[in-house]
Amino acid sequence: MEKRDLIRIHDWLWEIPRSHRGDMIVPARIFTTETMLDGILADRSLDQLVNVATLPGIRRFAVAMPDIHEGYGFPIGGVAAVDAEEGVISPGGIGYDINCGVRLLRTGNSFDEIRTSLPTIAHSIAREIPSGVGRGGRLTLQDEELDRVLDKGARRIVEMGYGEETDLQQIESSGTIAPADAALVSSIAKKRGRDQLGTIGSGNHFVEVDVVDTVFDAGAASRFRLAQGQIVVLIHTGSRGLGHQVATDHLRTMAAAMARYGIHVPDRELACVPIRSPEGRDYLLAMAAAANFAFANRQTIAAGVRRVWKHELGSDAAVETVYDVAHNIAKREEHRIDGATARLIVHRKGATRAFPGQPVLIPGSMGTASYLLLGQEAAMEESFGSSCHGAGRVMSRMRAKREISGPELRKRMASLGVAVEAGSMKGLVEEAPEAYKDVDAVVDVVHRAGIARKVVRLRPVAVVKG
Amino acid sequence: MYELVEHTADIRIRVRAASREELFADALRGLMAVVDPHGLTAGAAGAEISIDAPDTTVLLVDFLNEALSRAHADREIYTKVTFGRLTDTNLTARLEGVRVEGFGEDVKAVTYHEAEVREHAGEWSTLLVLDI
Repeated sequence: MEKRDLIRIHDWLWEIPRSHRGDMIVPARIFTTETMLDGILADRSLDQLVNVATLPGIRRFAVAMPDIHEGYGFPIGGVAAVDAEEGVISPGGIGYDINCGVRLLRTGNSFDEIRTSLPTIAHSIAREIPSGVGRGGRLTLQDEELDRVLDKGARRIVEMGYGEETDLQQIESSGTIAPADAALVSSIAKKRGRDQLGTIGSGNHFVEVDVVDTVFDAGAASRFRLAQGQIVVLIHTGSRGLGHQVATDHLRTMAAAMARYGIHVPDRELACVPIRSPEGRDYLLAMAAAANFAFANRQTIAAGVRRVWKHELGSDAAVETVYDVAHNIAKREEHRIDGATARLIVHRKGATRAFPGQPVLIPGSMGTASYLLLGQEAAMEESFGSSCHGAGRVMSRMRAKREISGPELRKRMASLGVAVEAGSMKGLVEEAPEAYKDVDAVVDVVHRAGIARKVVRLRPVAVVKG
Repeated sequence: MYELVEHTADIRIRVRAASREELFADALRGLMAVVDPHGLTAGAAGAEISIDAPDTTVLLVDFLNEALSRAHADREIYTKVTFGRLTDTNLTARLEGVRVEGFGEDVKAVTYHEAEVREHAGEWSTLLVLDI
């Protein structure tokens, strides 16, 4: 793929026309600046986006966000909307970490109030909320209890006493995707998930304490009860091993079943089946169960953060949910296409729903910034109501380990005023700020393109990672 | 033999071997090295695996995912594989290893992306992309 293969639609949007490859059903569109496009062309992410544009039943265009980078099958940062009756469902368009997502909590504390306590708070979060691979959480659920979580998501965790009804009102889909069917989650998936509620995992997942350092939209910030200098907490994790296993199980089924439906895809990782097929229906019900597990996981972690706040800062310390979003999921939605209402399944893999008025949470890297944005009407017209999901990697994990010194990174974080609790030096360097794109530039694209507008910028002051 | 190769977000493994059996065994060794087990314990671990697939590439990926799933579910690491049967499209195998406390890397899955088992001039090879 070269730049000459793309057409510039406007300063923030480029298109790969259908004529680029004979098997494309729709064009592919990328929200980016020309400068960022040069970087995007350095890997094979746009070739992967072209592959997505060949999926049976895809409508209008395959969409990529400015944080796009090479994945496997689908690129990370991609959106594919397929006809809900005649289209296909592809687990690769959701990813192995089903309902990986982000929750933002606001606290009643200012940065100045707790500045000196931050290292203690970070340490306390690391003790309270397990991270890494193989460390179980406080809850170990037996079969029936786990099934209730898979069916009801965050609601079941609130019923168990971990949180409030008001939390549920501030979660995408109220923290429960329905219908879901726990019976379609394999026994090995359940075994992997049994003790993982309330755990972060590793990789790019974290619990982070941030300070609101810039307010772009005072009115919207006020509605979210956020103000300059206020302390908030960001949680980034997903469905853990249970979700990974659901994806593996159903992708394997689909890879074998595809030929029966006469479907051929350019990459096996795009394996898909008709939405109305038994395999398609089963996957959607199992995916919903895994998504519910992820909502439940972030709800349980939020309860852990509240315990830390109470212990470290006193019993009246309020910690409330601002919002919780999924950025690896497929959803049934209605969109306007050619003046008519179309019923679609929207795959978002590394993309965040950005319906008008919906909060959009964009986690950045540990040394830069994260954002709260607000979805805009233009997103419905141009991106199936979607926005970016993060900064997007630019440096491989191997290169990060080769080029970045862990002790030097720790010193640098300290000099930036960021308290770090990391389970391993390897995990820390893999997630160094230079391994990611400039999150300010990425967010600027979606803001200027008008699909999501900036509300506040968050600066990390304490990071807990696996 | 296996070697790790760059990938923007994930990890690639290139595997080369003198036979199909060696290719599968070396790919398993590569996968277990990437998951980076820690806290090895004295307890012995093992699993019996049986897999059918439409071709050798899918068979290899499904074999590795089966081993990865069991490793995570039972907190085990597998250091030896003995094949009872290994053809183009099916296998039976016994995995042996040890119990562990956890893993340093969260490998979510072995993907089908870029995987293609080839045999050329007596050498079996493939690339594998692991989702991290």
